[in-house]
Amino acid sequence: MRRLCGFAFLGLLAAALAADGCNRDTRPTTGGAPRVAFVMKTLNHPFFLDMQRGAQEAADRAGLQLVVQAAEREIDVEKQMQIIENLLQTAIKVLIVTPSGSREIASAIVKANRAGVPVIVVDTRVDPKAITDNNLKVESFIGSDNYEGGRMAGDYLAKAVGGKARIAILEGIPGHETGDSRLRGFRDAIQPHPGMTIVASQPANWERDQGFTVFQNMLQAHPDIDAIFACSDLMALGAVEAIAAAGRSTRIRVVGFDALDDARKAISAGTMEASVAQSPRDMGRIAVESAAKLLRSEPVPTEQKVRLALVTKGSNP
Amino acid sequence: MTDDPQAAAPPRLKAQRARQLGTFAGLLALCIVLWAATPHFLTVSNLLNVLEQTSINAIVAVGMTFVIISGGIDLSVGSVLALSGIALAAALEGGVPAPAAIALALATGTACGLVNGVLITFGRLPPFIATLGMMSVARGAALMLAEGRPISGFTEGFRALATGRVVIVPAPVILTAAVYLVAHFVLARTVFGRATYAIGGNEEAARLSGVHVRFHKTAVYGVAGLTSAVAAILLTARLNSAQPTAGTMYELDAIAATVIGGTSLLGGEGTLVGALIGALIMGVLRNGLNLLNVSSFFQQVVIGAVIIGAVLIDMSLKRRR
Repeated sequence: MRRLCGFAFLGLLAAALAADGCNRDTRPTTGGAPRVAFVMKTLNHPFFLDMQRGAQEAADRAGLQLVVQAAEREIDVEKQMQIIENLLQTAIKVLIVTPSGSREIASAIVKANRAGVPVIVVDTRVDPKAITDNNLKVESFIGSDNYEGGRMAGDYLAKAVGGKARIAILEGIPGHETGDSRLRGFRDAIQPHPGMTIVASQPANWERDQGFTVFQNMLQAHPDIDAIFACSDLMALGAVEAIAAAGRSTRIRVVGFDALDDARKAISAGTMEASVAQSPRDMGRIAVESAAKLLRSEPVPTEQKVRLALVTKGSNP
Repeated sequence: MTDDPQAAAPPRLKAQRARQLGTFAGLLALCIVLWAATPHFLTVSNLLNVLEQTSINAIVAVGMTFVIISGGIDLSVGSVLALSGIALAAALEGGVPAPAAIALALATGTACGLVNGVLITFGRLPPFIATLGMMSVARGAALMLAEGRPISGFTEGFRALATGRVVIVPAPVILTAAVYLVAHFVLARTVFGRATYAIGGNEEAARLSGVHVRFHKTAVYGVAGLTSAVAAILLTARLNSAQPTAGTMYELDAIAATVIGGTSLLGGEGTLVGALIGALIMGVLRNGLNLLNVSSFFQQVVIGAVIIGAVLIDMSLKRRR
């Protein structure tokens, strides 16, 4: 048995060597259009589906073959790395990635750099220390100014409650640049208002069900909460359910982030107060357009900010 | 030691070999299909890439195989992996030299496993319950220790465990091979290995024939903790970061590799060669589906179907004998 395994493996390796030899000349002709890989955090979130749509539209216009893949779970940094390693085997011309972890992604980018595949990062920034430590080369970062978005939410809330509120915060996955920046922006915005106090701040890991349970628990500890800032709409929507389940008579103002369809509906219905809208579709579009530019050897800006907007009942179409 | 190696039922070697051959044929068939489907599969760099990617699951599957052969199950391996990784990273961050930090990680994993074992043998808890509890305790401990954040940024020397190469073979592949060689020897050639089979085959009979069941069973869970820690070291070096959320669902991947490899969940039979082939089947499948750009949703369907299919074929072969 063992000998058989050994032989078979050697045979496979020999075949691989042979195949390597013949592949070399045929490789450029496979597929025709240049392949651009877009590795997302996940594909079971409307935000990333919108991003995918924008990217696909841009790819169709530019005549690129777009390959979109994502791990099953958003936080699975190892699986995301595996996907990138696997795609690097398929002669891709540009790698676009929304990192699952802002530090962990560095190892994958090192591999892309080594393979000579230019890298574009979208949505979540790569940790600056990881960039210098590993000497990474990232062509462009495309994303929202999350700090500014957090500020918008904080300014709006302060105005809405007249500078006086007991606030609960639902954080994203700890250590995530996106969530941390939103949080910082929000805290900085309410800082000048002495009447705005944060009574609880806990991670709900970007998820709706966790937003529900975490906020339910917060309500137990602080029944007098009158405003919530959730670093994403899914968590905000979870909190909205928890409020409904608690049957509170006084109003709790919920401000979220992302302006998902469900959140827009909740804002129209008055169960949610506001949400900061990102433009994932624009992110996807700009990312692929930048990839097309790189393929034509044109310069791309190292940083491309995508606009943000506050959605409230008044502004919601 | 009171053990009498002769008392343990000898593993049904011939039948096991036949089944391994079947699993191996499955792996080869999968490779041939992928070779025909995409020019990117059968290249040296991609095969090495697959082996490297498979190493972590394959190492976790070693401990899982010991546990399942002994008739138990360990749901805590993913969480123990995370806790060992955090212990390692915290030590490295605190300036502890790498060998000492690695020893600490191995000790952490083994200790978690031994606690599982003691709960199961002396506490008489069903393995499912004891390790389910440990799954939560170890995950929580990892999150507490790390304060929810990943710990990252290690020296090149430490990272070489994952990024280094010997000629062209990635270091994780060599480490995995070493783990399998040692574990295979222990399982197939030592009193401890025979006791593991005997306990899984019939615990009462093993006890009556003089196998120190409690001792060996506890040690089996210790092995599972130890291999989780080895995998944690590799994962931490690979990602240059230890995450408290690392290893989520790895227990299921390890169980899948073990069963695809022909180890019976009822205990008493199974081999490490099988587990290795099982892990390779899963790794090759994931790799191939990525290369073929199969949607990530459908990939999960395919992997689930392969697990069910492999065990179905295995069962029907067994019935025919």
